Amino acid sequence: MSITVRNITKSFGNFIALHDVSLDIPSDGLMALLGPSGSGKTTLLRIIAGLDVPACGTIEINGEDISARSARDRNVGFVFQHYALFKHMTVFENVAFGLRVRPRHTRPAKSEISDRVMALLKLVQLEHMAHRYPTQLSGGQRQRVALSRALAVEPKVLLLDEPFGALDAKVRKELRRWLRRLHDELHVTSVFVTHDQEEALEVADEIVVMSQGRIEQVGTPEDVYHHPATPFVYQFLGDVNLFHVRIEDGNVVVAGSAEAAENDQSNDEKASYGYVRPHGLDIARESFGPGDISAKIVHINAAGPVVKLELAGDGGGLFHVSITQEQFRDLKLVRNDSVYVKPRDVRVFEPEYMI
Amino acid sequence: MSHTVRETAIVRWTLIILALLFMILFLVLPLALVFVQALEKGVTAYWKALADPDAVSAIKLTVIAAAIAVPANLVFGIAASWAIAKFHFRGKNVLLTLIDVPFSVSPVISGLIYVLLFGLQGWLGPWLYEHDIQIVFAVPGIVLATIFVTFPFVARELIPLMEQQGTEEEEAAILLGASGIKTFLRVTIPNIKWGLLYGVILCNARAMGEFGAVSVVSGHVRGQTNTVPLHVEILYNEYNFVAAFAVASILAFLALVTLMLKSFVEWNTLRVQKKPDQINTEGLTA
Repeated sequence: MSITVRNITKSFGNFIALHDVSLDIPSDGLMALLGPSGSGKTTLLRIIAGLDVPACGTIEINGEDISARSARDRNVGFVFQHYALFKHMTVFENVAFGLRVRPRHTRPAKSEISDRVMALLKLVQLEHMAHRYPTQLSGGQRQRVALSRALAVEPKVLLLDEPFGALDAKVRKELRRWLRRLHDELHVTSVFVTHDQEEALEVADEIVVMSQGRIEQVGTPEDVYHHPATPFVYQFLGDVNLFHVRIEDGNVVVAGSAEAAENDQSNDEKASYGYVRPHGLDIARESFGPGDISAKIVHINAAGPVVKLELAGDGGGLFHVSITQEQFRDLKLVRNDSVYVKPRDVRVFEPEYMI
Repeated sequence: MSHTVRETAIVRWTLIILALLFMILFLVLPLALVFVQALEKGVTAYWKALADPDAVSAIKLTVIAAAIAVPANLVFGIAASWAIAKFHFRGKNVLLTLIDVPFSVSPVISGLIYVLLFGLQGWLGPWLYEHDIQIVFAVPGIVLATIFVTFPFVARELIPLMEQQGTEEEEAAILLGASGIKTFLRVTIPNIKWGLLYGVILCNARAMGEFGAVSVVSGHVRGQTNTVPLHVEILYNEYNFVAAFAVASILAFLALVTLMLKSFVEWNTLRVQKKPDQINTEGLTA
């Protein structure tokens, strides 16, 4: 079932959490709301669920306006970051809760509840844990219980608020692949909130990048990674170096000195900045000719699939370059070596696109 | 090294002995004395003092006052802490402060307020007199005064507990289709039951033992408006020591039972809180 968000605005006191946000979430997809904390992604999810009330705007599920309905009547499945399992109930009772609290005339028979709960626990591979209490489970197991509890009421849409945020890195990776497989099996329209771009890129069919209560870009993982619409998206989806550039006859010319990227958002001369990913730079011991930058290596991190170099430009500023292990061996780089760097893919955002 | 260790041992033992002596002198001895004095003239005299119609009536009144005050404050306490812990609204801090008023005001003053409000010379006195309703110097006054002084116990116990637990479980229940009342009964209450019991025990102990406020509004009519603490005072003032201490022993016994219940609840709360750390590793590998 598709979800349509129309012109949602929400503020908490003076803080504007969502600023006239509109969004179409297609049926059966797995969509990620990606952004830093305070970007409004969780607020948007809670508004869709009916847990928060927007100042204005409407929410539609499958074309039907549900804005006036309470959270209880929206029939959405919701998974909380910290699981929110009922501590005093067993795993079985947790999953059965949504069925047991139904009014008598719509409540399934006891045996049917039991069958459905066990089927769901089997789906999340926890059928042998049915009699345990949440405190006796690991974080990953708890989140799987929370997911099957949400699915028990056969929700129209499934909303997940930082579902893996409270788990350690290894479990998180396992669980997100598992979620992807589960979604491919169930085909229930799902939206999950995350601040982890890697997670969003790996799991989602489509990513909504949010910043300061606005949507920056909506697109497939390839889209947002390779064709970021704004400097924010470019910076948020990976490491980035910032260079001063000039545009000469439609060509981008790097004007030498580099600045460290992350912080520099307030500068109104953004037009003269070029964005380059660490793997978008060529490095050599000899000069590339005009347009290259001479620099000194200040740090080498060779642990991992790529070698990460931190360079100090001779004209000032730090930047990061990543190269393959083979390149690193061929060049025989050590600390304090002088090298030349030439950006390969420079992305320049025209000022009119960046208001 | 051994020098410093020996010295701290001395300091430690001195402090422990001082504390013990202090406790024996001011807590254990008086308590023991109550029972000793009560049984001074034998068990028969003890039972006789308790079976005295005035004593029985005082016990009845105390139980009635507590039986009304405790449930009333239970309902109020849950409602207030639910509102304060789970919702944001204007005047939340004012409500929090108001709940604490009975703790900060002297019980005698609280009693006087009721006399000034409902007494014959008070604001509502003439109207009440016209309609033949007696509040002060009667059972309703005693119940009201008891409710007032025990007002904060349940709420004060529950507010921090509910605030710490947050609202996620309730939100989850609502999203799963549970009604407000089902969410409350099946999710909120089980989560706060131990804190609730603790608050009720303390509330009950205070309700039965309250002297000051009740003394002002009671009028001390024997067999009619005397509660147990007031009856003890009357007997004592009449130099009827055995009877005074016999009735007092009921309150002392109540205090001991309360302490035991309180310790049990505390122990159990600790046990429940500890549980999350004891993750069953056998289950993780299974």
